[in-house]
Amino acid sequence: MGASRAADHNRTAHGERNVLAMSSPTLASGQDRAPDQAQAPRSGRLSAVEIDKSFLTNRVLKRVSLSLAPGEVHTLMGENGAGKSTLFRVLAGIHRPDAGAITLDATTLDLRNPHAAQAQGIYLVPQEPALMGELSVAENMYLGVLPTRGRLPGRVDWRSIRTRSQDSLRTLGLDIDVRDDARHLSIAQQQLVECAKALLRGCRIILFDEPTSPLTSREVGFLFGIIRRLRDEGYTLGFISHRMDEVMEISDRISVLRDGAVTDEVDRAGFDRSRLVSAMVGRTLSFDRKRTHRAASGRPVLTVRGLTHPSAFRAIDLDILPGEIVGFAGLIGAGRTEIAEAICGLRDKSAGSVVLNGQDITDASIPRIIEAGLVYVPEDRARHGAILPMSIRDNATAGQITRLQNPIGLLDRLREAEIAKQTLARFRVRARGPDQPMRELSGGNQQKIVFGKWMSTNPTVAILDEPTRGVDVGAKEDIYRLIEELSQSGMAIIVISSELEELIALCDRILAIYAGRITAELRGAEITAASVGAAFLGAGSTPA
Amino acid sequence: MNRFLPRHAWDRTLAIILIALLVAFCTLIPGFYAGFGGTLAITDQFLPFGFVAIGLAVVILTGGIDLSVGAIASLSAVIMAILTKSGGLDIWLAAVLALIIGAILGWLNGIVITSLRVEPLIATLATSFIYTSVATALAGASPPYGFGKPFGVLGNGTIALVLPVQLLMFIGIAIGFSILITRTGFGRRIVMVGYNRDAAHYAGVAVPGLLRKVYAISGFMAAFAGIVLASYYDAVRPDMGNILLLTAITMVVLGGVSIFGGEGGILGVTLGVLILGVLRQGMLIAGFSDMVTTMLTGAILLVSIAAKNLLSDRGFGYGALLLRLINSRKQEATPPNT
Repeated sequence: MGASRAADHNRTAHGERNVLAMSSPTLASGQDRAPDQAQAPRSGRLSAVEIDKSFLTNRVLKRVSLSLAPGEVHTLMGENGAGKSTLFRVLAGIHRPDAGAITLDATTLDLRNPHAAQAQGIYLVPQEPALMGELSVAENMYLGVLPTRGRLPGRVDWRSIRTRSQDSLRTLGLDIDVRDDARHLSIAQQQLVECAKALLRGCRIILFDEPTSPLTSREVGFLFGIIRRLRDEGYTLGFISHRMDEVMEISDRISVLRDGAVTDEVDRAGFDRSRLVSAMVGRTLSFDRKRTHRAASGRPVLTVRGLTHPSAFRAIDLDILPGEIVGFAGLIGAGRTEIAEAICGLRDKSAGSVVLNGQDITDASIPRIIEAGLVYVPEDRARHGAILPMSIRDNATAGQITRLQNPIGLLDRLREAEIAKQTLARFRVRARGPDQPMRELSGGNQQKIVFGKWMSTNPTVAILDEPTRGVDVGAKEDIYRLIEELSQSGMAIIVISSELEELIALCDRILAIYAGRITAELRGAEITAASVGAAFLGAGSTPA
Repeated sequence: MNRFLPRHAWDRTLAIILIALLVAFCTLIPGFYAGFGGTLAITDQFLPFGFVAIGLAVVILTGGIDLSVGAIASLSAVIMAILTKSGGLDIWLAAVLALIIGAILGWLNGIVITSLRVEPLIATLATSFIYTSVATALAGASPPYGFGKPFGVLGNGTIALVLPVQLLMFIGIAIGFSILITRTGFGRRIVMVGYNRDAAHYAGVAVPGLLRKVYAISGFMAAFAGIVLASYYDAVRPDMGNILLLTAITMVVLGGVSIFGGEGGILGVTLGVLILGVLRQGMLIAGFSDMVTTMLTGAILLVSIAAKNLLSDRGFGYGALLLRLINSRKQEATPPNT
């Protein structure tokens, strides 16, 4: 099916034209308009009626009803595992419900697959953008709906693909060369390309599954700009996020899911943090907690001098004191993770030195660095942090196998069981027991185990890279509490985060990292939303 | 959600199959049950495959593969024969040296894989050509034979008149390797690397060093199989290891070790070795040709992989596809109640 036909089909289905297309005629097909239908009334109310969905014995959605209205941003909130993503996937034709119905305006839809959903104008921007890295951006945007020209079947009209995809990205204010391979795009760009894909297909109902968790605040701002514009043009928008501030900012209506059922639904007038949080977790949490910034003292436990990498960062100097929590603020790609990995021996560096407790560990092996008391809790949990098919016990002890071995190499099984038990208790993990495989746990609980794996090695310095990424509110609170406790016990902690409020809540000192350099340092009272926000953008340096 | 099988279900299934097979053969095939000792003696025919399979299983657990096991078995055995026949070394000393050489050849595989960054499949395919041609060159036109009666005990001997030496060694090695994988830090690291190499690296596992050791173990076990074969035949040939590879891979996979790494254990491999070995020997005794048994081996390989993929819903296997099809049928059958 050609893109133009897809767009036309959609127009006739909803009696309305792609509004963005008016500002730029090239966004939609750019040909054979149906002017008689342009003035049709606004439509696009997508409803889930008593949807039930189970995976094997696990009932994820329990008779959930939800209605997304046109011209509204409707947010789903809830802890990990509450069923938010599943509900969106059902609406987008990825999962078929076991029971219940999906209706668009007055019609009941039978969404056999995502393609059928897109034909009805429903598009899901997935949590992890599903672009094909080896294809160009333009090809990705037209994937499955490549327009053809000429009489020969299958002769693809490359030129129009290029110009039309380029124009549509420009309409969204994106400066991306569509001939470039998709793998060169940042996650934020990939998400926006997904969004543009939805528009090109003429979709009027766009669901965003946690789009902001890998984004920095500036990128979030950009995305929200686009979402608002779409809302004003009458699109129906669904949104999932764990970040309370964002949700309050962008939503017109919020539904809270807990254990597969809607526990609360409020419109803008009724927004209230504590109400939402208690609807989400079923208990009250302390919010607005801010760390009493302390001036740490003593000799530095970690000293970094002149750390340089040919392309990622240069001349990094650090002095971290015991009991101090230091934040790395910066955009994704600013070099935060690269610096942390280089300090911990996971990445090459071309110059500089790292000294831990008076011991030079610049070129030490990773096992030695861990033994010396420096650990790095990686950002990408599934790839670097957890070994999902293995048990909780095996994961919890994975960082200290050497210590658990007796002289002939046998593992101390009692000690292993003890560490696993302690980790489960100390980090309040919800699990059946130490033998349960990691992959059966929710994201937040997995993160707690990964966290516990490193903390049980008793490090003196820990670097936490996005410690609460993709973690629900309850687990987040627990993790913050743990970080506080650890720092009080004298551990020095570096927190890398894209979340402004997280850095403000946790850190004694914040270092702004911009384009591979430390551009500013904030401490004590200097740490405010405005100053940290500026730090993200390079604090004085000219943003690219 | 991905785990349909409870823990050890695969091992249990294999044990039941093995018992069923033994009972069926003893009752149905005349001549299969030739007294307790006679039946146990059958194992002499296939346990060299088992030695290779156990070493290979360790490699496959890390997510790798070793195609050079047959070549290493041949080369080590040829070197042993030359050391004792032309070099005048004591045969047992020559055998120990051959084991060390096998380990070194495997370690070289590991070097190629970790330092030159060649994929295990290609690296060991290449070295298998090299090792085979070296073995052929060393063996010459008339390979040595006749290593004396005491050495023959390794391949043909029995202890207490009925217990084959090979079987006792196999049991000992299987127990040793099982402890290595499940109870030691080294084994835990192997499984971690097999499931998620990156995460193992971040957790402080020295992955390249570990892989080199693993390939050395595989080379050592291959050399061991070669020496046992030399003892069994009382001769060596530069192509004697050729038959080992494919059957050994089949045994490992049948034993429940995932070719993606991480999943599986030595108990399963041991059972896989016994099932496949008993099945082939039983069929040969029953009068089926080697052709038929080989065909059956192929079919078993396919069925066991398909069954595992189907049951564990893993990856892009056709099993998973089938399961999905069945599920979607079921869903279509349920009418939506609006």
